[in-house]
Amino acid sequence: MTARLTLLALVLASATQTLAQDNYKLGPDSMVQEGVPQGTVTQHKWTSRKVFPGTVRDYWIYVPKQYDGKTPAAVMVFQDGGTYVNTKRSFRVPTVFDNLIHKGQMPVTIGIFLNPGVIPPTKAGGRSRRNRSFEYDTLSGQYARFLLEEILPSVGKQHKLTDDPAMRAIGGISSGGICAWTVAWERPDRFRKVLSHVGSFTNIRGGHVYPALIRKTEPKPIRAFLQDGTNDLDNLHGSWPLSNRQMAAALKFSKYDHRFVMGTGGHNGRHGGAILPESLKWLWRDWNTKTTATPKAK
Amino acid sequence: MPRPDPTVRFLAACMLVVLSGSTAFAQDMPLTQVLLPGEGWHLVGSGYRFTEGPAVDARGNVFFTDIPNDRIHRIDAATGKVTVFAEKTARTNGLMFGNDGLLYGCRNGDKQVVAYAADGSHTVIAEGIPCNDLVVGSDMRLFVTDPGNNRVWTIDAKRHKRVVAEGISPNGVILWPGEGTLVVTERNKPHLWTYRVEPDGSLSHRERYYLPLRLLPGRDRPGSDGMTVDTNGRLYVTTSAGVQMFDPTGRMGGVIGKPHRGSLANVVFGGPKRNVMYVTAGDRVYRRKTKVQGVVYFLKPPSP
Repeated sequence: MTARLTLLALVLASATQTLAQDNYKLGPDSMVQEGVPQGTVTQHKWTSRKVFPGTVRDYWIYVPKQYDGKTPAAVMVFQDGGTYVNTKRSFRVPTVFDNLIHKGQMPVTIGIFLNPGVIPPTKAGGRSRRNRSFEYDTLSGQYARFLLEEILPSVGKQHKLTDDPAMRAIGGISSGGICAWTVAWERPDRFRKVLSHVGSFTNIRGGHVYPALIRKTEPKPIRAFLQDGTNDLDNLHGSWPLSNRQMAAALKFSKYDHRFVMGTGGHNGRHGGAILPESLKWLWRDWNTKTTATPKAK
Repeated sequence: MPRPDPTVRFLAACMLVVLSGSTAFAQDMPLTQVLLPGEGWHLVGSGYRFTEGPAVDARGNVFFTDIPNDRIHRIDAATGKVTVFAEKTARTNGLMFGNDGLLYGCRNGDKQVVAYAADGSHTVIAEGIPCNDLVVGSDMRLFVTDPGNNRVWTIDAKRHKRVVAEGISPNGVILWPGEGTLVVTERNKPHLWTYRVEPDGSLSHRERYYLPLRLLPGRDRPGSDGMTVDTNGRLYVTTSAGVQMFDPTGRMGGVIGKPHRGSLANVVFGGPKRNVMYVTAGDRVYRRKTKVQGVVYFLKPPSP
């Protein structure tokens, strides 16, 4: 009985504390607005045969109402797609895209929301191989290849997607955040905009070296928005707040076009969701301006 | 350890959800979940030439090989006394007990996979396989590494053998709890290969799931060798840097320091509760009590 009461007290205490430090509220651009055309979201399943063979995953495609089927659309990919495409939780990306595209604050963008892969068991009730950490935390070009060789060509069959890397963004949360950075770092010829929420720039699989690499590598044409919170994780892999600060300091040193927002939240999407509209506006700013357009990929 | 009652478990789960917020992420598994405070390595035996292949039986006794001396030794679970179990073992290397109570071994000197009986005698399971390490599933299917030929064999319960993986340089081999996934070390590379085990014993969908392995400064290879797993799915691999522990999603949880400056070859959990980590460390064997429990595959009855 005592154990239960103590645990209940702990749950309530941590819930209260969590609520206080994560007391971020969604703004109007995260809500459905009257008169704003709504895009369509479709759900799909992908079985990889080439880059992560054997994996299966759900994914979603958002097509804005303004997509005319002729003009190549901008692209934004999200890891942990189910979290970002959900219009009832923290991020509500389809709703935010609807609002920002309508106001011209971001281009007509097709959203691709990918869940991490899973290799199913062969026996019923067996253990599947969860591929999230392998796909998201590994420092390599493999996840980028997955996007470039499997997902984008497939989505590209149904929808006209731009080739311009400055019009292709990628975002994610936690391991999905460092994954987004890795894709742009490995393939800046294909993706040049990064959005990271409580990004795991820690030593899960050696990702903590990025600040060091950023400082001593010829700068790449990447624009990055990083969000973290002072109550984010501090564990065996590292300190998230310190690692994100290291990333920001390195990006500043190497004169990257970047923005770093440090709130008070923990390891979740509440702060990132609350500032998503402004993050995207910043990330996609000048999308319509020819003078600041980065050179097209060859 | 008895499981906490359902209400406590539910509230603990609530706390985990509350603390983790809306993002699902895999449970972190630091070394503090494994190592006992104040507990270090204890010497079990010394004076051997090269120890390998530790295997635990149903009562927690641990058997290991001394390869160049052609011996298999037995460590008594209750007394800790080390005795000779078998001699003239023709460079037998990896060992593991099967459902049938026999001790399967890689009798590399004779290029045979054999099964040792309680009296130390052996029967031949398969011929023509230069073998380093093996794992025996609850269905009595074996996977055997053949490093000299860069391949992995399977031997089914009917003793039919075939090659199921090639083009890698394997050394140690182990199955996940649940036996649906096989893990193989690759010599001289800082990763472990992971395969899905198909119903017929074929291996599919390989990935360098465990990486990067810790490298000692100035070295480009981890010196990885034998492995074991615990009931929570943590994987332990012996390397030059120590025993490296990984969580079930392939992320490193930490490196357990070596008991001495010499090499580590292999690891198993022994003792009656299977919570004592035994490492074969060159000319010596060490043990260390832990908070976790090792996996054996022979507790499950073989499928009909």
